Amino acid sequence: MIDRYLVALSTYASDIDDLILLIGVLVGFWFILCEVAFFYLIWKFRAKEGVRAQYMSGEDPKHKRWITWPHLLVLVCDLFIVVGAVRVWYDVKQNLPEPYETVRVIGQQWAWSFVHAGPDGKIDTADDIKTVDELHIQVGKVYHFKLEARDVLHSFSVPVFRLKQDAIPGRIITGWFEATGTGEYDIQCAEICGIGHGVMAGRIIIESAEKHASWVSSQSPISLAAVATP
Amino acid sequence: MSVSGKFCAAAALAVSLGIAVGGASLARADERAAELFQLCATCHGDDASGNFLYGAPAIAGMAEWSVKTQLTKFRDGQRGMHFDDIFGMRMRPMALTLRSDEDIDRVAAHVASMPATRPEAELHGGDAANGKTLYAPCVACHGMDGEGREQLSGSPLANVSDWYLLRQLENFKAGVRGGRPGDQTGAMMRAMSGTLSDEQVMKDIIAHIMTLAK
Repeated sequence: MIDRYLVALSTYASDIDDLILLIGVLVGFWFILCEVAFFYLIWKFRAKEGVRAQYMSGEDPKHKRWITWPHLLVLVCDLFIVVGAVRVWYDVKQNLPEPYETVRVIGQQWAWSFVHAGPDGKIDTADDIKTVDELHIQVGKVYHFKLEARDVLHSFSVPVFRLKQDAIPGRIITGWFEATGTGEYDIQCAEICGIGHGVMAGRIIIESAEKHASWVSSQSPISLAAVATP
Repeated sequence: MSVSGKFCAAAALAVSLGIAVGGASLARADERAAELFQLCATCHGDDASGNFLYGAPAIAGMAEWSVKTQLTKFRDGQRGMHFDDIFGMRMRPMALTLRSDEDIDRVAAHVASMPATRPEAELHGGDAANGKTLYAPCVACHGMDGEGREQLSGSPLANVSDWYLLRQLENFKAGVRGGRPGDQTGAMMRAMSGTLSDEQVMKDIIAHIMTLAK
């Protein structure tokens, strides 16, 4: 439902959206119910001629019921949220599917840089493709990312994937995504990281297999060297 | 009052009004420039004397055209877009906050109007006498006294922090700077940096440039 209004382009985006929607509906239901009861009671027990206000200690079970019953019902709702959240957490953060390729993502004040596997499909080899503020991936393939921070805390956020992962200096954090559609979308930093945080923006370019292959071959260091040498 | 007297009075009033309006508009432009500079001051310092720890060089008093050129290069992605240019990547988003050419002009004019600061030496081991000889090929674009030459896009070098000069020479030599499409002047400097055999040569030249600081 949320994806009608916000583009969702990863295999787990709808799971996260559904969880947010579940939380929104449950919290919204209780909020509206409480507000209705609150204003009804204010109206019902408004000041009246000849009626004295009463002091209630809240110890009478008849009065306590107004707290305990909703409390228990809210706890039941929490169970639904916790079960949903643990399921999503496991799928998104812990159960990493086998990757088609791995990409290194590096956050620094105030830019994102990326190391893509070159034609050999592996990172940390001579044909790696290094870019700044541009991540190129292929649609329909599982990617693992190795997330690093060069200086301070950052957070790698790709809103169309509903992906957000903190980057911590000194740690390499592995995550994954699989894009379900092509296009060019925002990458943001979601952790205040200094004065340039607000403009620390990159782009993710999700391409078809042919376009991605063509980009890889045009960007590989070997191709670039051939262009540079007349 | 005679007709010519009335005419003179009206003309004087018009001129004074013009000066007042012009003055107000200049004051607004200065205000805007000072406001924009606040962001630069975060790293470069209130007096634009630079900050080694932030990797921000001294820029106070730098030629307006040079500041403008570099800000434009950062904004257009000709600088600060290389994977290994860590400090350049820090500067690029700052330049992107300057939304118009007018804002770039204002900041450049503001920086140029600030009194130049004499940068403190951070590098050691440079031989200024040898550097003076090695500096000979640089004169054509950067000038005998490191004052820079706008016609040849040779940036002013006097009063620039020595550690910054070393980093830029290393960046040019490694292809970190001067390799982006559209950066013709950077490409020229990149080619020139190829003639610098090692870090000692760079340090010698920089030691000489430091003697040119005013």
